[in-house]
Amino acid sequence: MSLIPEGKEKLLKPGAMNARRSLVEAELVSSVGWMIELRWIAGAGVLLATWVVENLFRLDAAEWPLYAIGLTILAYNLVFYLQKRLLNHRAAPISAYYRLAKWQVALDWLAITLLIYFSGGIESPVIFFFFFHIIIASILFPPRTAFGFTLLAIVLLTGTALLEYFGILPHSPIGGFLESPLYQNGLYVSAMLLFFSSTALITAYLVTSIQERLRAREEDVVNLSESLQRATVRLQALNEGARTVGSTLELAQVFNRLVRTTAEAMGVQACTIRLLDQSGQRLEPVAVYGLSQTYLNKGPVEVESNALARQVLSGKIVNVPDVINSPLIQYPEEAKQEGIRSMLSAPLANMEGPLGILRAYAVEPNRFTPDDEAFLAAIAAQGSIAIENALAYQAVAALEQSKSQFVRMVTHELRSPVSVIRSLLRTLTGGFAGGLTPQQKDILERAAHRAEFLQGLIDDLLDMAAGKAEVRGRETPEPVALRTSLEKIVRRFEVSAREKDIQLEWIDRSDDDPVAVLGTKDGIDRIFNNLVSNAMKYTPPEGKVTVRLARVNGEAQVTIEDTGIGVPEDAMQHLFEEFYRAPNAKEMEREGTGLGLTIVKDLITRMGGHISVKSTQNVGSQFTVTLPIHQDESKQDAGEAQDQPQNAMA
Amino acid sequence: MTNKKILIIDDDPDQRLSLRLPLESAGFSVHEAANSAQGLVAVKQGIPDLIILDVMMDTATAGFQVALDLHSADPTSNYKEFRKTPIIMLTAIHSTTPLRFAPDDDYLPVEVFFEKPVDPDVLLAKIRELLG
Repeated sequence: MSLIPEGKEKLLKPGAMNARRSLVEAELVSSVGWMIELRWIAGAGVLLATWVVENLFRLDAAEWPLYAIGLTILAYNLVFYLQKRLLNHRAAPISAYYRLAKWQVALDWLAITLLIYFSGGIESPVIFFFFFHIIIASILFPPRTAFGFTLLAIVLLTGTALLEYFGILPHSPIGGFLESPLYQNGLYVSAMLLFFSSTALITAYLVTSIQERLRAREEDVVNLSESLQRATVRLQALNEGARTVGSTLELAQVFNRLVRTTAEAMGVQACTIRLLDQSGQRLEPVAVYGLSQTYLNKGPVEVESNALARQVLSGKIVNVPDVINSPLIQYPEEAKQEGIRSMLSAPLANMEGPLGILRAYAVEPNRFTPDDEAFLAAIAAQGSIAIENALAYQAVAALEQSKSQFVRMVTHELRSPVSVIRSLLRTLTGGFAGGLTPQQKDILERAAHRAEFLQGLIDDLLDMAAGKAEVRGRETPEPVALRTSLEKIVRRFEVSAREKDIQLEWIDRSDDDPVAVLGTKDGIDRIFNNLVSNAMKYTPPEGKVTVRLARVNGEAQVTIEDTGIGVPEDAMQHLFEEFYRAPNAKEMEREGTGLGLTIVKDLITRMGGHISVKSTQNVGSQFTVTLPIHQDESKQDAGEAQDQPQNAMA
Repeated sequence: MTNKKILIIDDDPDQRLSLRLPLESAGFSVHEAANSAQGLVAVKQGIPDLIILDVMMDTATAGFQVALDLHSADPTSNYKEFRKTPIIMLTAIHSTTPLRFAPDDDYLPVEVFFEKPVDPDVLLAKIRELLG
């Protein structure tokens, strides 16, 4: 997954120059097209104007040459149009467009000169049209070319005027336009040429200088947008880094993402993270992006013999502008072979001291700017936090694991003797060791009863300890059909319901769907066995317990409703706490560990579900369990899973 | 029913006692072994009609090894004449702990699994059923 969207990457990677050139290029390409479009109108305009002059104004012009010029303009414009399409199609280099533009201007110059000649030469009102052309050329070309064309215009007009003045070229006026011809009026001709030349040059100067300034602005804009883009990419990288640091506690994953993100965001060849080993003397690469194995195998990076490492580990950001001449570099030859010319290194550290080095590598010398230094420092700070977090997490996980193991071991050690005590008591109360007086039997039964309670407590503790350990995924969840599980549980309580005179109702609204959820069969059984058992326990005779299964909003919903003693309002918030028992529950049932609901909630949470309670004291309680439905390709499997023999070891 | 020999393999003497009393009062002849090795020797010597086997002894799964040895399908097994001797396995391992076991022909060839403590009446009923 790349951080940088395709387009941005392209813009950034080849460097700033390309982006700038491509903008000017794009402008030239579009100008060539624009000129061709305008020329269709110009050509047609010449034809129309000639016709208008002849037929509406009834003036006498050299109409056939003028028509010919108009048609010629259209004809060569067609050639240009086709040529441009060809260039576009071939994605021709910019020089081809440049040549095309020059040809266009040159031919236009000729055409307008002829137009001027055939409409009266120095007397022609068409002369003013030359200024449009000068403006266009000045916009399109660099100043030198623009002035060249302007001078050409002056030469062409002056040549025409002089040739006519000296009678070398016949005068071709628009008959009826002027009372008396001016083309041989020396004062008029020289004044006209002087003003035309100066106006043309001033126009060229003004337009080119405006254009220069516009170009400079444009460059600024490109620069600015580039630096914005870079900033965006870096912000994204930082943001991504922060999210990585927050979301992943696997160190290797954090490191790999950091180096890749950093290299991509800075647009450089490579990036590495090296951490100090146990001895604190050697730096080992833990994450590498963009470097060859050969380079990594170049040799050990010992703090002792690596001046750069020492400087960075002391907390400095070190920029090596050129590895070839730097005294800091331990392996300059290897770096050169790898194609690395500059390096930027930032320290990774925590409160206790240096941890390692984050380093970026570039193929160009002098690649890293102060901006880059600040950026790498920010990434390194995040990396340091990531290391800190991951190490803390590892420590907590290990602690939790050993705690669970300890609890499990202890409870197991507790369970064995209690179980033996119960066995022995049973042989006595069962009369297998001789007869007992009623009182003796009563005492032994009381002892057995207490031992039984103790065992229940130990079992619950064992469950909790096991539950916490299972968070690491010891038991693999599988699709379990809720309907089958619930039917079993309800059947299990049917006898005690009859004995206690409680109406036990099972309402299945699953519509022939087994309602598979992802969990362990034991887990599901414990959850609902516990909830139904509670409902039965705390519901007085002649009451009612209802178990209901339904799909609600795409989730499995099981409600266990009773008409029992209910939960007092102030007990509600403690209901799922370990060892908590509501006072009215204690009153009704003296024994109980207060762990049942804690375990139930723990199991449900681990299955991605939740449990809620509604209750009114002396009216009843309603426990609602919501579990995510397992989306399986074959619902059949989920239904059958319940009937398969249990695996020997789950 | 009488004179049927039952071997109890369990490292806990109290547990053995609690099993022995009901079995003897039901008329069985009871032999005891305190670990796997003793158990296997006793099997060879006493040729019991039924074995009650604890899972956790020297190791957490020592009982399983005994059951696998006794019921091995391997025709060269040292204990091939005991392949049909029914085994009742006792476990103190609570059902929802990660180490959970249930009879499985492929994995563990035992007839019955009982979680401790075992109700003597249930145990006796099962034994009578197994011994026909």
